[in-house]
Amino acid sequence: MIETPTTPPPASRSPMVKNIIRESGIAIALLLLVLVFSLTTEHFLTTANVTNILTQVTINLILGVGITFVILIGGIDLSVGSVLALCAVVGGTVMNLPGLGVIEAVTFATLASVAVGIACGMLNGLISAYWGLPSFIVTLGMLNIARGAALTVTDARTIYSFPPAFNAFGSQTFFGVPLVFLVALLLVLVSWFVLTRTVFGRILYGIGNNEEAVRLAGHPVFWYKVAAFTIAGAAVGVGAMIYVARLNIASPIIGVGFELNAIAAVIIGGTSLNGGRGSVLGTLLGAFIIGVLANGLVLLGLSDFMRQMITGGVIILAVIVDKYRERLST
Amino acid sequence: MSDRHLVKESEAGMPETIASVPSPSGSALKLTQIKKRFGGIIALDGVDLALERGEIHGLVGENGAGKSTLIKTLCGIVHRDSGTMTLGGQPYEPSGPREAKRAGVQVVHQEFNLMPHLTVAENVCFEHLPRQWGVFLDRDEMNARARKALDAVGLSEVPVTANVQSLGIALRQLVEIARALMSDSSILVLDEPTATLTSHEAQRLFQLVHELADKGVAVLLVTHHLNEIMDHCDRITVMRNGVSVETMPIAEASTERLIQSMVGRRLAGELASDHPSFATDKVMLSVRGLVHTSSKNSKGVSLDLHKGEILGIGGLVGAGRTEFLRALFGIESASSGSILRNGRTTPYSKPSEAIKDGIAFVTEDRKDEGLILRMPIAANICLADMRKVSSRGLLSRSRETSLAKKLGAKLALKYGGPQDAVSTLSGGNQQKVVLAKWLSRDPKILILDEPTRGVDVGAKAEIYALLRDFAAEGRGLIVVSSEINELMALCDRILVMANHRITGELKRPEFSEENILRLAYQFGDDSQTGVH
Repeated sequence: MIETPTTPPPASRSPMVKNIIRESGIAIALLLLVLVFSLTTEHFLTTANVTNILTQVTINLILGVGITFVILIGGIDLSVGSVLALCAVVGGTVMNLPGLGVIEAVTFATLASVAVGIACGMLNGLISAYWGLPSFIVTLGMLNIARGAALTVTDARTIYSFPPAFNAFGSQTFFGVPLVFLVALLLVLVSWFVLTRTVFGRILYGIGNNEEAVRLAGHPVFWYKVAAFTIAGAAVGVGAMIYVARLNIASPIIGVGFELNAIAAVIIGGTSLNGGRGSVLGTLLGAFIIGVLANGLVLLGLSDFMRQMITGGVIILAVIVDKYRERLST
Repeated sequence: MSDRHLVKESEAGMPETIASVPSPSGSALKLTQIKKRFGGIIALDGVDLALERGEIHGLVGENGAGKSTLIKTLCGIVHRDSGTMTLGGQPYEPSGPREAKRAGVQVVHQEFNLMPHLTVAENVCFEHLPRQWGVFLDRDEMNARARKALDAVGLSEVPVTANVQSLGIALRQLVEIARALMSDSSILVLDEPTATLTSHEAQRLFQLVHELADKGVAVLLVTHHLNEIMDHCDRITVMRNGVSVETMPIAEASTERLIQSMVGRRLAGELASDHPSFATDKVMLSVRGLVHTSSKNSKGVSLDLHKGEILGIGGLVGAGRTEFLRALFGIESASSGSILRNGRTTPYSKPSEAIKDGIAFVTEDRKDEGLILRMPIAANICLADMRKVSSRGLLSRSRETSLAKKLGAKLALKYGGPQDAVSTLSGGNQQKVVLAKWLSRDPKILILDEPTRGVDVGAKAEIYALLRDFAAEGRGLIVVSSEINELMALCDRILVMANHRITGELKRPEFSEENILRLAYQFGDDSQTGVH
């Protein structure tokens, strides 16, 4: 809070440059991890393992990208794991409807899954924006509602025997890159474009920083908030179908705790939980840090329990580092 | 008690209650050649300041002159690079605010440091909450102490158990002062204490300040209001660009001289009230009986705004001026009344309707409502009219930058680059960003609530000139201000509000402080106390 001199202050770094610096820090951390695991384990840099990491990262990345929109406006979405299960079982049910060809079955199932995701997200947004409720509470409610709904729809049973072509999509690779990862990457790029290059994105950042100023500038804050939650829901719908394609089953108990992993990816990626600051590229890197860490630690022979503890430490570390970075950049 | 913690090592064995011995010279605090640099910015470049016991010492200077840094140095938040500080003759080296307080230096900061969801008593006693059995909070004792502290500053009508949130902004300021005075102090620093107070409330504050000074407290008053300096200070120090330019006794000071000393250039012209009027007879906006939902006055507010006119609205804090503006702009709903403009008759139900109708609203609170501080200047300027800088929803950086540069130049905005965060600007320049934002829509009517709050005198003069330019371009302006001089300098006509209604109208020849205050205190039949 230094008073600025009345003479024009020297031009400081542009926010874009700052963002690049911010993200390059995370990227360097990721590269270091990759380096360490490449040197300490035999199999880390094999094609099979890289494919494996990309596959594992995919779902978390898709959910994280959606949640980034919500966190940027200062909200949170705890419901994505449960909504993923609901989308999966609704999609799975539609896919197994009698009398559908493979293409129709997959198309309708995907549409149904995304529609369910959109409906849940929109409901989260409408309720929290209309009554001005903390989204933490609203989405916590939705977490339970969606899980219950998923169990009800399926009568707690698992749906399986999907068309082989659908399952093939889930495991198809393209020069070692899983097709599903490319879908996730496409979502990242589109989201990045929307957030940085469109009026819509700019206003989301504005809301996260100062909702009242945006409202007084005449923008319908209510609908922008609803839109952010809806996008998160839509991403869950997409993620659900990819998950089903990979597992080849649709179970009402999948996705437990996924929201926390996705939020962790967003936070490690440098997006502020207070809203208004961060980027979807950060989320991409954050998801990779979690994925690479999980994979590498297993290759090192550490137990899953150890992996959990280390991942938790990394989340806290990321926030501490971010605190210092913010201080340096202002 | 002021010195004991400063010399704690040499007096380790002495009783705790040692009283400070007034030094024969009467000097309470002495700063010599204080310098401080933050990275590349020199904040303080040699400040000399001496406070005598029992004096009220004014500190003036434009924003950026280094006043805030100096205050932070005094209370231990900022550590100086060089120079010496003595308190009551002893070296004064506060490591932090806590130690400064213990040494008897109390600072009431410009930004509120109250906790809105706690009670007044909890806030006032927060530094030393009374305990029972060592752990439990002694509520009775706490409330009693707070009561005493509030009574001491004349706030006997404020209940100590009320939430701070429920108090008006003016009362919060006084509560903050009460809190600072809880501990014994030899130095009291007030940073812009009247920024949010009406003249009546300010009088009350100064009465208290004089009482404290009579008891021997040295008061450092930092303010942009030169009339307060002239009325209440014994001596005045002027700062410019991190240097203390001069210290003068009140007898040698004049507003004119202070301003010249502060800015080093002549500005008196802009601040004077003899400017040509651009007001015409053409009515741009009529408001009839507009009642804000929280207003208890059922008749509401009626007014006409003419093309090229600067219409002032005066009154005390709590008179309902801000509420009226918010209802007019559609931020909060009006329970009845009509707005006549461009053929419409109903009040605006949301800001976007008013904006479409060519109205812009510069809010009272830049930081909370006007600006997105962390975002770039360009992004802020473009916020009110995104269509100008985008096509089919896609932003164009180059258009954004050029619009920001164009409007920045028009308003003589001083900035590094359009992608710098707004938070890097001084108060006056931040306010210009708010004006630029609205100007991008070319509004026909501008509503301004306290347009120069927290703005230094140089920037104030520039803003006045801009507002007059807007009127000359045929726009209509409604200006709400608690500064009577501001209204008289700017406006063609002044309406005065009290208790959510208009109590009178003054034309230029009738402008005077007395006339405005008389109307401001005219509560009428359904009157209540002016402070709530």
